[in-house]
This record gives sequence, C-alpha cells and structure tokens, in this order.
Amino acid sequence: MPIPVPVPDKPSRVSRRSVLRGAAGAGAVGIAAVSGAGAVMAATRPAAAAPTAPEASTAPEASTAPEASTASTASTAPGAPAALANDGPLVVYLRDAATGEMEVFAGAGQARFRDPALAARLLSRARTDVR
Amino acid sequence: MSSHREAPEIAKDPVADSTDVYAFVSPDNPGTVTLIANYIPLQGPAGGPNFYAFGDDVLYEIHVDNDADGRADITYQFRFATRLTDPDTFLYNTGPILTLDSPNWNSRQLYTVTRVQHERARPEVLATGLACPPCNIGPLSTPDYPSLAQSAVHDIGGGITVFAGQRAEGFYVDLGAIFDLGDLRPFEQLHAQYGMNVFSAAAPGVNATAALNVHSIAIQVPISQLAPHGHGHVTDPGAVIGVWTSASRQRVRLWDADRGEDVWAGPFHQVSRLGNPLVNEVLIPLGRKDLWNTLPPSDDKRFAARYAHPELAGLLPALYPGVFPNLAALVAAGTARADLEAILLTGIPSGIVPGFQNYTGPVLADMLRLNTAIPPSAKPNQLGLIGGDPAGFPNGRRVFDDVVTVELRAIAGVTVPLVDPSFTPDAAAGAVTDGLTASSVPAGYLTQFPYLGVPYSGFDTPS
Repeated sequence: MPIPVPVPDKPSRVSRRSVLRGAAGAGAVGIAAVSGAGAVMAATRPAAAAPTAPEASTAPEASTAPEASTASTASTAPGAPAALANDGPLVVYLRDAATGEMEVFAGAGQARFRDPALAARLLSRARTDVR
Repeated sequence: MSSHREAPEIAKDPVADSTDVYAFVSPDNPGTVTLIANYIPLQGPAGGPNFYAFGDDVLYEIHVDNDADGRADITYQFRFATRLTDPDTFLYNTGPILTLDSPNWNSRQLYTVTRVQHERARPEVLATGLACPPCNIGPLSTPDYPSLAQSAVHDIGGGITVFAGQRAEGFYVDLGAIFDLGDLRPFEQLHAQYGMNVFSAAAPGVNATAALNVHSIAIQVPISQLAPHGHGHVTDPGAVIGVWTSASRQRVRLWDADRGEDVWAGPFHQVSRLGNPLVNEVLIPLGRKDLWNTLPPSDDKRFAARYAHPELAGLLPALYPGVFPNLAALVAAGTARADLEAILLTGIPSGIVPGFQNYTGPVLADMLRLNTAIPPSAKPNQLGLIGGDPAGFPNGRRVFDDVVTVELRAIAGVTVPLVDPSFTPDAAAGAVTDGLTASSVPAGYLTQFPYLGVPYSGFDTPS
C-alpha cells in the first residue's frame, strides 16, 4: 500500500533550504528527493514567473500557472524553481513501493519519478520509526 | 441554491465553495464590465468570534474567454493573507472599527490581484496589500458599516476597480420548498404530494437566504480590456465574452500536529467552478458533481447529455400531474433540448431573438456569456431575456436577476420555441416560479460598485 511520507518529519518548522543544507551531510531522504524532483521540474515547467502573494515574506506561496489555474490536469506551475528556494513544506508521496514511483510536492510544484533506492530507504525508516 | 453546497466534496469546504458569479455591463459606468464571484455560502451574520474570511490557502480566480474556445484568455487571480494585530486576545476587534487601518481590528485580510493573460508568459501583479473590510458585526463594532465597506473599494489603476469582502446574499431562492421534493409554494396545491394532501392552497415563496451573507470578489474592468476583438456592435462575435469563476487548492494537505495547522504543498488544482447558475446544482447528477467542479468549461461536452435531457424536465410533469402535458410529451419523445444547450453551452446565435446574440461558436462550454455591446437597461426586467430585457440573464447575469424563475421556465419548456417553433409550451411553463423577486432580498442592492447589498449585521440578525 502506498504511504504518504512527509519529509522531513522533524523539526516541524523546517525550510527546504535547511533540509538541503542538513541533508547534504547526512545523505538523508530529503536531498535525494529534492534532487530528483528538481531535475524533473526543470524539464517540465513553462518559463513564467510566479505572481506575488500578499506580503510575500509570510504569505503562502502563490505561484500558479495559467494551466494550473484553469485545468485539473496541470502538474506543475511556473516559477517553481524559485518556489523551491523559498521556505515551506516538502512532501513525498510514495505511490508504489515496489517500483519506487513517488511524487514530490514542493511549493506550488510537483514531480513524479521513480527512485527505488529512495523508496527502499523511506520504507526502511517507516518500518523502524513509524509507530 | 445557485451553487451553494452543490457537490459532496465542496460542501465540506465552504471557503472554496463558489456560490454565484455575475457578469454585466456596469449600469453606472457602461464602458466597463463588472465581474463578481461569491464564495463562503450561507453565512449567519452573528458567526463570531471567528467571523468569516476568505481562505489564505485558496486560489480564487475569475476567468474570461474572449476567443470562443471555452478556455481562459484572461484570468484575475485573488490571494488573501490574514493578519492578527494581537494574537493574545480572543477578540475579532477590541473596540469600534472606524477605518480599515483601525488598531481595534484584530483579524484583517489583505489581498493581491494578479492578471494572467494566457498568451503571455508572465502573470502581472496589478495590486497588492489591498484591504478587505471587516465583517458587519453590529453598531458598537462597525458603527458606520456602509462607509467602512465602501472605503474598501480600491481603484488599482488602468481603469480597474476591485472589492473583496462580505456582502448581503443577493441570490434569492425558496430553498426549503424546492428541496422538499420539488415543492413550489405558489403552485403547491398542484403538487402530487405523494398522496399526503399536505397543501390545499397556493402560498407565497420564502427566501431562504434573506438573512444570510456571502463573501464577494468584485472587479470592474474596461470592456476594451476584456473584449479586445469587439467593435461595439451587438452582432459582432468579438463583443461576446465567456465568464466563470474557480477556486483551487494545492494538492497536498497535511495536518502539522506540532504547529496545530494545515500545511499545503504542490500545484493548485481546481476544486470549485461556476458559470451558469444552478447547472452543477440541478443538471449534473450527484455522482458527477465533484468531477464537474474540477474541469474547465472546455471539457463540458462530456456533460452535454445532462443539458440536453435534464432530469428536472422529467420531474416537473411527474410532480405536477396534468400541469405540464406538452413538456411530458417532449420528454417522452426523447427530444434533445437544443434550447438549453444554446442558452447554457454555446450562447444564442443571431437570428433567434431579434437584435440579440451571445453566441460563442460550437464549443460546448458552461460559461456566462455576455454581449458587451448591449448597453445596460434603463428599465431592467429581472427575468432578463425572457422578460424582454436583453441586458439580463442569460446575457451575462446581473445581481438582481431572477435566475431561479428563468431557469425553471426554460426547463419547463418556455424556450423550446426558440429552436422548434412548432412546439407550444404549457401555460404553466410561462408562470412557474418559486414565488420570489428581487424585492425578497431585505438588504436590497447598491446602485454602484460592488452592487451587492450591505451585509446583514450580527447584532441585527442574530439568527
């Protein structure tokens, strides 16, 4: 059964930037997910800037694509590389543990890819740490 | 309701639930079009201490199609951010709120307006840090509410004016009767009543929304910006725009137990949509309503059969035996309702109604269609086009239009002769109504932007 795995799980008030910094040394799940996601997102996003949210320092990320705003099937939003540099949650959804198919949600973007090694690490951590 | 709690999923999410959308040539500023999208249905005015507010986590949009493909060419996006002046009090306000920057107002919302012109790469932020008005609380908290709210009407340049905040519900409907198995009080003695004989005489309609508020997003834009291909002639296809609203949420929602709040991630996906009133409410079946809400109008051919063979057309003769014999015959013959398809999915072509058209071509798309070359009516008829007033629904929709009666009569067959002159509507088709008019709205309407009435206060409308 697929399991949604929030990354990172602690501390709760963590930014993607800090995840990247922290994971660089630890070889943690976060950096592998973000690296893969970044590659896919860079290949799929149209080149457009994100609209500015009200008082952007604290407002939720507001970047949206024309496609994302009007169609249910849009999977990525413009400006997501910039969104990745902002603070906010990053969520990994392991859709199929057997194949390693997963989705990463960061800012207003998402990416779907297969990473069996990362899936195995997530499952391992889930088995040992999830109560 | 027009689109209040109309689908199972969105009924759980009121801040993202679009309830009504309006589009009309501004009567006091006829070089502009006013677009209004309402959200957060059925607000009890006394709903404190956490009074109603837009969702900071919702992307609200009003879309305009000006090239007849059922896809947005211009989208106005609205994003909100809530600010607490003092998080250490439970109070919405700590004294009278006399101005939008009052230090007594503890929980306020600011918003950003962004225009997306889909042929261009970059969205354009039109304005940011715009203040919403507070909710209408009562004579101590919001002593001069009309003036306070009017100060939240913002001129953002380029001929554009915006407002976002609480308004009195302008949509009137006898909800309690209609959803009691199709009872229409003015005709309830004719209802089959399942043999119970509950009603023996006609009764006046009751406006279920008479003391309720909504939250409105209103924007007034020069016609030249919305219909750049138009030349001011009624017969000009470029004069017609399609309008709908949508609300979107990010795909991932996670409850952060440490912070005690939701966190969101991922791209925005549409969770609510509204063009023509009552469509998802009445035409789309329960098992498809959530899907309909996620799709753009350009996908509406998937639902064409629901417009061509509306369930309600079959119910009326069954619920009111002998009252709609011609409609019953039409339904029994399996005749596709080309009149409803035209009104709701393509617009009405030239040559059907003299001097009128709001046709956008063969693409089936549920949008309000507004011919911007038709000027506001000096003497509006709330029945719009079927009342002889081409400036009203289904030519766009004005805040006071009686869309319940118009659509009831259309489904009952009064518009069939537009496409089949040999059809004679039942006498009742031209009279059927839930018994309400614009005067059933106690707050009334404004003669200037944002046109919807001053919201009911919690003090004066405690329940």
